Order: sequence, then structure tokens, then C-alpha cells
Amino acid sequence: MKLNERSVAHYATCDSPPDKTGFLFKKGERNTAYHRRWFVLKGNMLFYFEERESREPIGVIVLEGCTVELCESSEEFAFAVKFDCAKARTYKMSAENQVGMESWVKALSRASFDYMRLVVKELEKQLEEIQEAGVCGMAVAGGTPCKSKSNRRNQVVRSRSGASSSSSSSSSSSLSSGAPPQYSQKNLQDEMQNNAGSSKENGVAWSKVPVTLANGYSEVASSSVPWDGSAGTGPWSVTGGGVDGVRPPPVPPRRRGASLESPVSPGTGCFSKLHDWYGREVEELRVEWLQNQPVN
Amino acid sequence: MRFNEKELVHLSRQPSERAAELGMRGPKRGDVVKKRLVKLVVNFLFYFRTDEEEPIGALLLEQCRVEREDSHTFSIAFLDEAERKYLFECDTEEQCGEWIDSIIQASYEFMRKNLVFYRTEIHRLTGKDPLEQYGISDEARFQVNSLQLTSRDTL
Repeated sequence: MKLNERSVAHYATCDSPPDKTGFLFKKGERNTAYHRRWFVLKGNMLFYFEERESREPIGVIVLEGCTVELCESSEEFAFAVKFDCAKARTYKMSAENQVGMESWVKALSRASFDYMRLVVKELEKQLEEIQEAGVCGMAVAGGTPCKSKSNRRNQVVRSRSGASSSSSSSSSSSLSSGAPPQYSQKNLQDEMQNNAGSSKENGVAWSKVPVTLANGYSEVASSSVPWDGSAGTGPWSVTGGGVDGVRPPPVPPRRRGASLESPVSPGTGCFSKLHDWYGREVEELRVEWLQNQPVN
Repeated sequence: MRFNEKELVHLSRQPSERAAELGMRGPKRGDVVKKRLVKLVVNFLFYFRTDEEEPIGALLLEQCRVEREDSHTFSIAFLDEAERKYLFECDTEEQCGEWIDSIIQASYEFMRKNLVFYRTEIHRLTGKDPLEQYGISDEARFQVNSLQLTSRDTL
């Protein structure tokens, strides 16, 4: 299968800021030797270079749909990137110390496009609620709280966080299979329905920027805006907190109806649940690692 | 450059944001328009021969520019070789517009900018960082200012 390799390699080395960089040992494909490589994580792409100064990556691992686990290995601080497809290759890597290993495992397990999308959707929802609450607050005298979903949602989030932190300390199950908790698909779909419904019924005059974009959009195509935001073409470039009067970026259209395209990685449309799952995963890895430490 | 092709092919079979048969023309001189099943999955655009299981190819949609060429046609060009354009012919003007919007929003970098915007706005309106409750405020990918961790800083 072809890939626009030149441009992908360019993405690796262009000045968009990486999410994480560092040295890792990577197990070779055929032989069992571990080679030290310079790794650059950008979005859902993990590039690796022969040397830190190399101009071009040797290769890239597309991380979408992967799970990250600790692995049994003669190497210390080892972890593996696995995929849920037939005959998939397992990428075994090891860090130079415990902190490095934990840091990479955390970064890689949250590297998927779907995770980012979930976080964005969550914040988008929160912002909407804040805007709605703002309008309600103005209309209702005496400070009676406006009826909104936010209270319920916040309560759900808090109780979940509490539950996960208390269970993690006693949990010793390894996450080897990477199977996520089975969230009822129906509940998720209901939640999506509710959200879709409420946005349609939202009579609050919050000026949503139309999704369709005018001619000449190519000029402000966000993909080509330099990261530092100083180019000024992106209306959402942040300069010292002065975002007043700024147009929000075009939002992905809300899906009508309940068809939640299942993400490739742990399938859940509920951000707090997904986030707890990731958090628990890291916690379990940590516990397992501690338990496997040889007694000195 | 090596890449995990099997996993990418597997990704091409996942539910897509958008998929349709379009006329596609490659960037090389002499390339002609061919009917292709074009499928957008996360930040990849896969293209298949109609009725084939495995994609002919994939385009990673980062650092690219999407432009409307005419009422029914849009193009994708990558910033490192901006003159080389991939052309896509749609059935209707509306379809063309929808594809353009979808592709622009399909990049990880675009989502990151959205996130930074929302995070900043929410913080401005409430005084609170919305990511704190999830314990992910410090992650590099969510940082607001352009002073991201440089290569030297990270482990």
C-alpha cells in the first residue's frame, strides 16, 4: 500500500511541536537485539530516528488503535505497543529508567486521534453549558440555578474518579489483554441521542460559527498555520489571553441520531469513562511493575 | 521509511467519517482521473479501487492544504511539496464542500488547536482549567502556549 511517505517524513521533522521525544531501545524486527533510537511522538504517529540529529526518520509507527502494555522481557523498563489486528507486529521497547517508561506508556496510550477527539468534544460541551448557564443566569432573577445537564454530568464524573482511585490500590490484575471494560453500547448511544437532541433544541442564541467555510478558506486552512500562532491567520491563536471577540474554530457537526462510529481503540463515547479507563490502565501498570520488582 | 502497513490497512477498514466514490487524480504530470473509493478515517485518507478490500494507498492529512479548485473539485497538497496536488472530483457542489470541511477537520493538529481554544475560553470564563479534573493538564499535547517542551527537555 502506498503512503505519502515524503510528506509524512516532513511532518516528523517540521517545526510543529512534538508531544514527546527521547531515547528508547527498540527491539529489531527479525533479530532480538535492542537498538537505541531517537523517538519523536507527534499526534498519533511515533517516528524513530537512527540518531537524534538524523534528518529523516528510519520509520514510523501509526499508533491509532494500539494498546500499550508492560511486557515480560530481559530488558528492564520494557513495554510493548500492540495492535488488535491479525498478524500484527508487537513493537517492544524499553526505556532507560522507571520514570521514562511510565512517561512513555502514558503518552503513547493517549496518542490516538480518537482520544483527542473525545477531549475536544468534552470541552466543546462544557463550553456550551457555560454559555447556556450564562444566558440563563441573566434571565432568571434571584440566582436560581438554571436547569442544565451540567450538574448531573459533573456528579457522575466526580463519583467515577473516586471509585477508580480507591480500586486501583488494591487492584493487581495485569492489563495484559488490553480488553477495555465492556460499556453497554446502548447506554452510550442514549447519551449521544440526548446530546444530539439537546443541541438541536437549544434555543439559546449562542452564535455558532457556521461549519461551511467561505472561499479563500485555503488561506486560513488550519493545517498550514504555523504552530506558534503568531501568523495571526488562525482566529484561535492565543496571545497572552486576549481571546475576546475571537471566533471559535469551526466545530465538527454534531451527529444526528445515535450512530457512534466506534473508535478503533477502547470503544466508548463517554469521555469520563474513557479517561478513567486510561487512568486505571496506567495505575495498574504501575502497581504491576512495583510488584514485580525484585526484593533487594 | 518503514511504516506498519498491516495496521494501517486494518485502520482503513474501520468506520469512516466520510466515504464516497470520487474521481481522483494523482499529483504527477500525466496522471489521469480515475474512479476511486475514497475513505476518511481519523487523519488518513484511504483510496481503493472500487470493490477492492485493500486500499491502493493512504494520505496522512497533516501539514496539508485543502483548496476548492472549482465548483465540484477540491485538491489536497502537502506543504513540503505544495505544487503537487491531488485532485478529487465530486458529484455535486455540496458534496465537494462537505469533503473539504471534513478533511480540514481531520488533522490532529486542527483538533489540538480547537482544544487549546476551548481550554482557554473555559478558563477565561470560569477561572478554572477544564482539564484539571481529569488530571491531564500537564500533558504536552494540551498545552496552550507555543512554548512546548523542546526535544531537549523530554525524557
